[in-house]
Amino acid sequence: MDRPAGPWRIAGGIVAAAIFALPLLWMLGTSFKPPGEYAAASASLWPRHPTLMHYEAVAGARVGRAVVNSLIVTAGTTLLALLAAYPAAYALARLRFPRRLDLVFLVFVLLVKLTPPIVLAVPLYQVLRVLGLLDTLPGLVLAQQIYALPFAIWMLLGFIRDVPVALEEAARMDGARLPRILWEILVPVTAAGLAATAVLVAIAAWNEFLFAFLFLQSPSNFTLPTFIATRINEDETLWGQLSAIGVLASLPVLALIGVVHRALSRGFAGGTTG
Amino acid sequence: MRASTRLLVVLLAPSLVLFALLTLYPLLRVLLLAFTDSDYGFEGADFVGLANFAELAEGRGFRRAAWNTVAFAVMATVGEVVLGLALALLLDRAFRGRRLVTLVLLAPYVLSTIVVGAIWRAWFHYDVGFLNTALRGVGLPGVPWLFDPVLALPSIALADLWQATPFCFLILYAGLRSIPPDLHEAARIDGAGTWARFRDITLPLLWPYILIAGLMRTLDSFKLFDKVYAMTGGGPGNATETLSMFVQRLAFRFFDIGMASAAALVMVVVAGGLAAIYARQLMRPPA
Repeated sequence: MDRPAGPWRIAGGIVAAAIFALPLLWMLGTSFKPPGEYAAASASLWPRHPTLMHYEAVAGARVGRAVVNSLIVTAGTTLLALLAAYPAAYALARLRFPRRLDLVFLVFVLLVKLTPPIVLAVPLYQVLRVLGLLDTLPGLVLAQQIYALPFAIWMLLGFIRDVPVALEEAARMDGARLPRILWEILVPVTAAGLAATAVLVAIAAWNEFLFAFLFLQSPSNFTLPTFIATRINEDETLWGQLSAIGVLASLPVLALIGVVHRALSRGFAGGTTG
Repeated sequence: MRASTRLLVVLLAPSLVLFALLTLYPLLRVLLLAFTDSDYGFEGADFVGLANFAELAEGRGFRRAAWNTVAFAVMATVGEVVLGLALALLLDRAFRGRRLVTLVLLAPYVLSTIVVGAIWRAWFHYDVGFLNTALRGVGLPGVPWLFDPVLALPSIALADLWQATPFCFLILYAGLRSIPPDLHEAARIDGAGTWARFRDITLPLLWPYILIAGLMRTLDSFKLFDKVYAMTGGGPGNATETLSMFVQRLAFRFFDIGMASAAALVMVVVAGGLAAIYARQLMRPPA
């Protein structure tokens, strides 16, 4: 158990949290401020005359489309990454590899982790074009696998290694084949790990900007981050609407913060920022 | 084929196909195109040897982008690890509400970088931004955060500090909790002061965690694109253009794929070198 904190320490912790929360509170407050208030050089965080006008304006615009696109890309990326990663992670955790191929594989995962996305984006543009997937949501789902897949394999590997082999052996004695063992025994036992992996992959996919920015050209295909990026440059101080969209884009990920906390505390130091 | 080998192939096939198509093939393509004058693909492209690299080394755009990237990576990584360590030490005692404080501190880290960029661009606005309004409120002059060519990059690093310090904090916090409390107890009984215990117990045992946090932040800030795009677009002039933006401009605006590939190759090699330096430190047996 930790030793109890003194009053100065508690005060320090609360002040630090308040400072870090400030920009978020500002965004929330600004999304309810009439334009006169935020353009009037006021340092107050909260609106004097709260209004829903920005949310109404945003609801009428093309934001709905961007939200749907983001949901499709996030769901697709997560599903594809888990479907491909689970059997691979199982193989790496359980089967004996000829000539230490598993080590080669893990080094490769690290290499991907350190490769800047722009490096792969240039040739990938041509790959997607040849496949006819440029400017499509499936194309973006595919591109996002570059980082989602190694991350998912790496995380699932840890969870599958924690499962005692004896569980599978018993089923194998009864004559169950591998697909059934995976689906009926391993997946239920590792459900919590699968969920955590899914959440982290989904957050990264929801927030991803560079590939969406480079590979999606039609505004009707924009995801939320690309949509926000175009709005930033449209009007220097259209902060009310921008904040409203920012709040919409942030609420889902903030709701999942507990999962990120647990994963990082366990040492899954995978990055989600870009 | 033996049954177990066949099984391996089946289980790994989906991942291997995706890796080959999305990572291995593109990397090979970059490697080859870096030595050509390609403006799209291999067709019509000529082998030019090291000419692209020579041109990069001479060009001011690349040198400026490289300098900006390194300067940002150093500012951001050092700032985030130090501040993250301070927060971890601050919260390494039990109190009611500690979990809530931790979750609030973590919030900026899960946001989209574009949203972070949008918030800070507004905060840094010279006339009506939150920071300058607050400064003027206490009688100080406004600061040209993003307009000044010298200040713009540190300003972006400040936004990065807000977003990524929580990551370092949590890694180091987990590290602190792995140190057996008995060690501190024993040292206290031997009369060691707070500073001595920090220097001789906490810091050496925390060192691997500090290296991992530093490595992750170095590699991530080396990729910097989104935040700069949202806040300054690389300006004023090219005062905040990073290597990622430089490559993007060459490839997607000037269609100079040969040069872009050469610059990209330099980025991979440098990132690999950085990772190797950290890895060596991590592997080194404790002195």
